[in-house]
Amino acid sequence: MPEPPATDEETRPLGQRLFDNVFLLLIVGIVVMAVIYTGWGLFEVTTLPPATLP
Amino acid sequence: MSAADFRTCPVTSLKIDPRGELLVKANAVVAVVSLLIGAIAAVLLVLTRWQAVHLLPAEWFYRILGVHGMSMLIFFIIFFEMAVLIFASTALLNARMVTPKLGWTAFALMLGGAVMVEVIMWAGKADVLFTSYVPLKADPLYYLGIILFAVGALLVCGLFFANLVVAKREQTYSGSLPLVVYGAVTAAIIAVITLLHGAAIYIPTFLWSLGLMEVDPQIYRLIWWGLGHSSQQINVAAMVAIWYMLGALTIGAVVLNEKISRSAFVLYILFISMASAHHLLVDPGMGSAWKIVNTSYFMYMAVLASMIHGFTVPAGMELGQRLRGIGTGLFGWLKQAPWGDPGFSSLVFSVVVFGFVGGITGVTIGTEQINIIVHNTLRVPGHFHATVVSGTAMAFMGATYYLIPLVFQRKVAFWGLAKIQPYLFAGGMFIFVMSMTFAGTFGVPRRHWDISFSQAPFDVAFNPAVDVLLAFVALGGLIAATGAFIFVAIAVKSVFFGEPIGTLVPGVAVRGLPQGITSPPRHAPDVDRRNEELHAPGQGWLGPAPGTMVLVFIFLAAFIVYFFVNWKVLSFVWKIG
Ligand code: HEM
Ligand SMILES: [Cu+2]
Repeated sequence: MPEPPATDEETRPLGQRLFDNVFLLLIVGIVVMAVIYTGWGLFEVTTLPPATLP
Repeated sequence: MSAADFRTCPVTSLKIDPRGELLVKANAVVAVVSLLIGAIAAVLLVLTRWQAVHLLPAEWFYRILGVHGMSMLIFFIIFFEMAVLIFASTALLNARMVTPKLGWTAFALMLGGAVMVEVIMWAGKADVLFTSYVPLKADPLYYLGIILFAVGALLVCGLFFANLVVAKREQTYSGSLPLVVYGAVTAAIIAVITLLHGAAIYIPTFLWSLGLMEVDPQIYRLIWWGLGHSSQQINVAAMVAIWYMLGALTIGAVVLNEKISRSAFVLYILFISMASAHHLLVDPGMGSAWKIVNTSYFMYMAVLASMIHGFTVPAGMELGQRLRGIGTGLFGWLKQAPWGDPGFSSLVFSVVVFGFVGGITGVTIGTEQINIIVHNTLRVPGHFHATVVSGTAMAFMGATYYLIPLVFQRKVAFWGLAKIQPYLFAGGMFIFVMSMTFAGTFGVPRRHWDISFSQAPFDVAFNPAVDVLLAFVALGGLIAATGAFIFVAIAVKSVFFGEPIGTLVPGVAVRGLPQGITSPPRHAPDVDRRNEELHAPGQGWLGPAPGTMVLVFIFLAAFIVYFFVNWKVLSFVWKIG
C-alpha cells in the first residue's frame, strides 16, 4: 500500500486524519452512547410519574 | 528493550515482542479453560431442556445456566479479546508491549475475579443468572469478583491505547493503522463504553448487596444492558477484525476499499452500543420514542456497517482468489478454496451463519413491534447462539488454528480432528439454532426449567412439535459441544505438549500446519493483467466479484422475506374486528 509517511500530517485528507484520531473516536463514541441511550434513558425513568393505584 | 530482543516471525516477518506474546498466551489459555467449563454446563443444559431427559433439578438448572452464561459470554469471550487486543497492538504493528507489569496486574485481576465468580456460582451463592437483575441478590463476593474482572479488562484497554501511542511515536508503522488493528481499535473503544456502564451498575449493586444503598430495578436494567449488550458489540468488532485477518492469511483476501471498511468500523463506534435498548423493549419504564430511536433509526447505521463488512469480507476473498488465478465461473473461487484448513472453514461458517441467521433474526426481533412476539422465548437464545457462538466463537476458534503456529510456535495437535472440528461445531450449532428458533415461534420460553409445568396449578399446552424440536436442540447442542471439547483438547495438547513447528520450507505441506502457513497465498505473476481484466466493463454488471454479488442478492431476499413474515405473524396476535 503506498501510504504517505506519517510525518507529513498535512498531506493526508481530512477524513483520513479524523478516522486516524483514535482518541477523538473514543470520546465521540462514549458521548453518543451516553446521551442517546444512557442519558435519555435515565431521564425517562427518573421523570416517570408514580402510578396511581386503584 | 533493544530491538534484538524481538523475535521475527518466520511466516509473516513481523517483529514480535516476547513480553507481549506471553500475555497473549496467558489470556488465550484462560479463555480456553473458560470455554471448557461453559461447554460442560451447556451439555447439562441441553439435557435438561430436552423434556424427555430433563436431567437437572430446578435449582441446578438455573445455577448451571448462570455458570454457562458467565463462563462463555464473559470469561471465554473477554479473555480471548484481551489476547486479540494485545496481539493487535504489538505483533501486528511490530511494536513493543509498553508496560508488561501492568499487563500482568490486569491479568491477575481478571483471573482472580473470574475464579471468585466461578466459586461463588458453583457454591450456589449466586443463583441470579448472568444478568443478576435486582432485586435478585447474590453473595457480595460475586459482584466484587465481577468488578475486579472489569477493572482488569479496562486496564488492558488502557494498555492497548498506550501501545498504539508508543508504536506511533516510535514509528514502528507508517501511515494509518492496518485495517485489522483498526477493527481492534473499534473493539477497544466499545469495550471502554461497555466497562464504564459496568462500573456504573456493579459498584452500586455491590453496595446494595451489602445493605448500604438502594438500587432501582428499572435503572438497573437500563445501565446493566449498557454493559450486557454493548459487550456483544466488542465481540462483533473483534470478530470482523479476525475475518479480515483470516481472509488474508488463508486465501490472500484483499481489502476492497480501505475507506469503506473503515467507515463501517466508525459506524460501529458511533451507533452500535445503543442497540442495548432492544433488551428493554417490553419494559414499562421507557417510552416508545426512546425505544425506537435506539433500536431502529440510529442502530440501523450499525446494521448498515455489518452489511458492509458482510459484503467486503467475502468479496475481498473472492477477489483475492481470482487474483491468484484460482477458480473460474461464479463460484469456482469457493469450490477450490482450502476447505480442509480449519482456519478457512471456520471463517466461512462464521461469516455465513452470522450474516444469514444471526444478522437477519437480530434485526427482525430487535424491531419494537415484532419484539413482542419474540421476547423471552427460545427465539432469543436461538438468535444469539447464531451470532456470538456460530459467529464470534467460531471465528475465535479459526483464529486459534493460526495463533497456535504463529504465536505459540507449535503444530496443531490432532490435525485430523482439527480439520473436521469447524464442521462439527458449526453444523451442530446450526441444528441447535434452527430448532431453538422454531421452538420459540411456538412460544416456548427461554430460561425455563420445565415447560410441562408438572407441579404448577395451571397447565400450558404447547404444540406437540415442540417436543421434537427440543430433542433436536439437544442433538445439535451435543454435536456442537463435542466440537467445543475437541477444540479444547486440540488447543491444550498443542500449547502444552505440541511439537515445535521447526523450519518451514515455503510450499511444502506439513501435517499440523494450516496451508496458509506452509504456503502463504501469493498473487499470480500476471496479477496486474488479471486485476485489469476483472475491473474491465466487459466483466458485466455484477462487477469483479460476481459470486459474492449473487450471494448478496440471496441474502437480501432472505432478509426481506423473513422480515415480512414476522410482520404477518404479528398481525395474527391481535385480531381486530
Ligand atoms: C457449545 C455449545 C453450546 C450449547 C450446546 C449451548 C446451549 C445453551 C442452552 C441450552 C442455553 C439455555 C437456553 C435457555 O434455556 O434459556 C444456553 C444459554 C446461553 N448461552 Fe449457550 N450454548 C453453547 C455455547 C455458548 C457460547 C460459546 C456462548 C457465548 C459465547 C453461549 C452463551 C449463552 C448465553 C449468554 C446464554 C443465556 C444464559 C441466560 O439466559 O442466562 N453459549 N446455551
Ligand atoms: Cu442484545
